[in-house]
Amino acid sequence: MEKIKMKQLTALCLILTMLLSLSACGGKDTPSNALDLSAASWEEIEEAARGTSVTFYGWGGDEDRNNWLASVAAPYMEERYDITLEVVGMNIDEILAKLAGEKEAGSAAGSIDMIWINGENFYSAKENGLLYGAFLDKLPNTGTYIDTEDPETLNDFCMPIEGYEAPYGRAQMVLYNDSAVTPETPASAQELLSYCQQYPGRVTYPALPDFTGSAFVRNIIYEICGWEQFQTMEADYDTVKEAIAPALDYLRSLNPYLWNQGRTFPDASTTVDAMFADGELVLGMSYSPYGVAVGIENGTYTDTTRTFLFENGTIGNTNYMSIAFNAPNPAGAMVVINAMISAELQLSQYEQLRNLPVVSPAKLSVEERAAFDAVDMGRGVLSQEELLTHRLPEMPAKLVPVIEEIWLNEVVGK
Amino acid sequence: MRKKRTAYLLLLPLMGMTALALLACGSVLTQSLGVVPAFGLTEPTLDYYREALADPAFFSALGVSLRVALLSALAAAVLGTALCAALVRVGPGPMGLLIRLPILVPHAVTALFAILLLSQTGLLARWAWALGVISEPGEFPQLLFTPGYGGTILAYLWKEIPFVAYFTLALMAGVSCTLGEAAENLGASPLRAFLTVTLPLSLPAISQAFLIIFLFAFGGYELPLLLGATLPKALPVYAHLAYMHPDLRQRPAAMALYGLILLLSAAMATLYGLLTRHLLRRVEGGQ
Repeated sequence: MEKIKMKQLTALCLILTMLLSLSACGGKDTPSNALDLSAASWEEIEEAARGTSVTFYGWGGDEDRNNWLASVAAPYMEERYDITLEVVGMNIDEILAKLAGEKEAGSAAGSIDMIWINGENFYSAKENGLLYGAFLDKLPNTGTYIDTEDPETLNDFCMPIEGYEAPYGRAQMVLYNDSAVTPETPASAQELLSYCQQYPGRVTYPALPDFTGSAFVRNIIYEICGWEQFQTMEADYDTVKEAIAPALDYLRSLNPYLWNQGRTFPDASTTVDAMFADGELVLGMSYSPYGVAVGIENGTYTDTTRTFLFENGTIGNTNYMSIAFNAPNPAGAMVVINAMISAELQLSQYEQLRNLPVVSPAKLSVEERAAFDAVDMGRGVLSQEELLTHRLPEMPAKLVPVIEEIWLNEVVGK
Repeated sequence: MRKKRTAYLLLLPLMGMTALALLACGSVLTQSLGVVPAFGLTEPTLDYYREALADPAFFSALGVSLRVALLSALAAAVLGTALCAALVRVGPGPMGLLIRLPILVPHAVTALFAILLLSQTGLLARWAWALGVISEPGEFPQLLFTPGYGGTILAYLWKEIPFVAYFTLALMAGVSCTLGEAAENLGASPLRAFLTVTLPLSLPAISQAFLIIFLFAFGGYELPLLLGATLPKALPVYAHLAYMHPDLRQRPAAMALYGLILLLSAAMATLYGLLTRHLLRRVEGGQ
């Protein structure tokens, strides 16, 4: 008798839990935007976005950017559009995992509106239907400020954008070191090798798949194998491995002179920056071309730290903002993204974050251009012209994880 | 009857959590069989397990995790028992409070301590430099980030030795006050009383502590990630990396790794349970 009761009770508990978990997943009662965004005018979209909040998910590892978002972007959205911008720092792979989970659970209204994204993650998100769709042409500022024929507006790591994302900022790989510690600035892969031999154990790069480490290795591949052949290459492990074989040889020849003899690499670019600031390393690499100026100003780096490039150029890419497939507030996200690509906020990013702007200089008014020209980029950095004349395109996104896998198998500890 | 009902009611939240955990395990196993309808994968297959088991990287990751788990659990069990015996001798007091500290510190913070202390630019290296023993960071012995995972094991020991002592203390103190002292009164030396009476009777607690540490370290992520080498990776780090692969259709491959971790943990716990039951029966039988 008692046994049966207990069994019934357990079964009841199980059913209750399942019901609870089900209702927790599916029962979100968010009022969906009644407005049909594809047909709506921009004024209607702005009106619908008034008084709402927009969540912006993206990498949160850059304190200066976090501060800018909180102290400039969020108040701007509040004042102009009555939108509350909530910024959530999260690594892109986790954001995609979260979206994928929401897609699996079939939840119509998600928790993410805007995403900071590019490259292989954009490729994967677009391929798997995790993005809202084309919206770039809806934004008035696209026509006002963006060069729509620019290859970086059309393709993200060779993946057609088709209006699924709007540019946010430009980045470019640079190297930096301290002229008081090492007078040399290696301008090619070969010079980098002799530099490492001269300062054994004091150079390294972040372990792939770290974003910066991955870009650095692609840059080495460009140095050794050229860049053109990769633009159309198939993402096949053996094809890629054969094509980059000389670069793998080079990376292996670098290993004995690297930190920890190339048996172990630091886990993240921020670790490399900290090790450089600590004097443990004599060279660092960054995807923020003006990072050194910021570092000198806040005292992280010495005054004699300076930025330099490989003569043959370094990889540049644009990072973008996109909208999640199940964004609870797509109208709000569009309004925020439109504001982000305005000359005003791009100028503010250029001033405060030293972020290469995405607005096209040809489309700026005379006053706007003067304002951009007047910005003092600080010490230890290169001019925008110097950067842009040494800028190489990214590889197709599909190749990136393949190269990361090959690097793990063929370079670490070899 | 009423009492029982109250007990069940109080256990409800636990049952709910367990049900949720089982649901999650079920979802991992389903996906590991290649069924993720959201990405257009619907055909169940064992291929992902086959692929995982054909990859040498899986076995080197498994090797790392087993090695870290076994060495840290063994050393922690031995040293923790010794610490516990010492605490029983001197009485808990302030020392008893002190050993709780490492248990309370989260693993990620422990990793930070280890980096601050033991890295080549850490506190110890700086002292060595100040004393003129070394002239640059590279001369300080590499303790962290090595393929042998010495740094990870050291960090686990710092946390788990006190854990074993704390976990065993109540039982050992009880045994020592009663049967242990009786043995000494009957003429056994303190060491003999400890080895033949107190230690065997404390074994249940020690062996449980061992299992907890072993399985925790086997499935542990933070310490091998933060203190380990780029290659070989520990199994959970390896699996998480696969989970984070930007190509979402690789998801089942990652889930197969998690499935293997689940199965291995369950198998080891069962095997260990059988072994200790056997062992304890012998100890109790000899009483």
